Amino acid sequence: MLVFEFAQKLGIFEKKIKMIPLYFDPGTGALIVQFLAAAVAGVLLFYRTVLHKIKSILGIKNKEEDDFMDDVDTKEDQE
Amino acid sequence: MESKRNTSSFRDPSGYVFIDGDSVKRVINPIYFGQFKALMDSGFYKTLFEKKFLIPHKIHSENQNQIIIEAQKIPFINYPYEWSFLQYKHAALLTLKIQRLCLENNFTMKDASSFNITFHEGKPIFIDTLSFDFYQENNPWLAYKQFIMHFLGPLVLTKYFGQDHLKTLALHLEGISLQKLSSLLPLKSYLSPTLLTNIHLLAKYDKKYKSNKKTVYKNLSKASQIKLIDGLYHYILNLNVDEKTEWDNYYNQINYNEVAYQLKKDFVKDWFLSINGKSLIDIGGNDGTFSRELINSASLIIVADVDPNAVEQNYRQIVKTKEKFILPIVTDVLNPVANYGFNNQERFSFIQRVKEANLNACLALAVIHHITLSGNIPFSLSAQFFSKMAPYLLIEFPTRADSWVQFLLESKREFKNHFDFYNEENFEKEYTVYFEIVKKEKIDSSERILYSLKLK
Repeated sequence: MLVFEFAQKLGIFEKKIKMIPLYFDPGTGALIVQFLAAAVAGVLLFYRTVLHKIKSILGIKNKEEDDFMDDVDTKEDQE
Repeated sequence: MESKRNTSSFRDPSGYVFIDGDSVKRVINPIYFGQFKALMDSGFYKTLFEKKFLIPHKIHSENQNQIIIEAQKIPFINYPYEWSFLQYKHAALLTLKIQRLCLENNFTMKDASSFNITFHEGKPIFIDTLSFDFYQENNPWLAYKQFIMHFLGPLVLTKYFGQDHLKTLALHLEGISLQKLSSLLPLKSYLSPTLLTNIHLLAKYDKKYKSNKKTVYKNLSKASQIKLIDGLYHYILNLNVDEKTEWDNYYNQINYNEVAYQLKKDFVKDWFLSINGKSLIDIGGNDGTFSRELINSASLIIVADVDPNAVEQNYRQIVKTKEKFILPIVTDVLNPVANYGFNNQERFSFIQRVKEANLNACLALAVIHHITLSGNIPFSLSAQFFSKMAPYLLIEFPTRADSWVQFLLESKREFKNHFDFYNEENFEKEYTVYFEIVKKEKIDSSERILYSLKLK
């Protein structure tokens, strides 16, 4: 409920901008929760970056799955 | 020319696909004109084509009522429930990659259905050209819930409970429900921050606001959405499944010596050359070992196998060596993928798609004894099945003296006598109802026979 109230305070329930109507219900809860999921993801990514740096200083190699499209990767954690 | 609307294409009001003779075209309705023009003019479509993320198209005609585009044709559309774990993973990652790229270019994906991706030329490719919309500053991702239901859900279920769950979409064409997904997962999944937020919390909020249809926007900055995408990407990239199947170490158990193995390879090559084959389906093709012998002469080889680990191994090799012509899919011959969806015409059956692909040839090595003796399928019915695959068939028949056949017969116990019909004569009798025998050759130092057959 907290997030919902917070969202209301920010005034995020307003009139919709004209976009293509969706053929499925995106789910109000799913739209709200992204905020929390993104915050958690942010913490995780930060933690991972720090860990990665510490490991590289200590010379420990990361065992990561190989990506499949090497030509176009935009991610910073690729080696 | 005959022109018919594709029966899978009806959900999105932006347009629909139709088949015009031999080409695949798409009508775009005026409601989507603004988006389409922006995607063309900004060069974003071009970027997606160049990266091989999206199936290329060109404009066929346009007027004020509709724009018609022609898309590059994909010879064999394959579905999520036919992919191995790694393929499923890559399809999910591609979706996230595209959404990230969209955000960087001020677009967003308005849906994230796993049916929007198919495997083509060794890679997953996005095939729904109209899935893009303008990005509105600070809006959340509208397709987020669909992504979880179509991709993360089945992948995580597979991680915990095995590869049967890769077929989740066959049962739930709209993706697995969040509440069900959350309640199925084990308690330890709550310890993963990614699963806790993206599945359990999501399911909770989804339920809570079920009857609330207010529009939510401006609650998520672009930078945050990118973090969300990156978080999911990273989680899925490192997702593994540890499930041993029959296939593991298969080639250590088979009853061939090196000579017979090589002979079989040569026979397959000569056969494909003699029929001037260009396309092939390999039934029970394992990790594609034999199909790979034909890679220089074929333009499409579908390698179908029931074992997801074998299919994954095949796909791994394709990724590694960047092979374009082999398409590995998971197929159970005893229960091939059926027609699903409304009117039974939304997602097409395995047999229908194979027929429409008009393949030249079918390879069926070391599979008939499994179909007949494990599946209890009479020769007359398996012959009928193979007659639907292609006009030429190369089939290997292990005789009763073969150790595998003996093992399978022993497993029948008291029922064993029921399979007295399993022999060369009866095989030939039933298969010649549909086929004529072009060549028959016993493989030296084995108890197996290779039949080259041609459809009557």
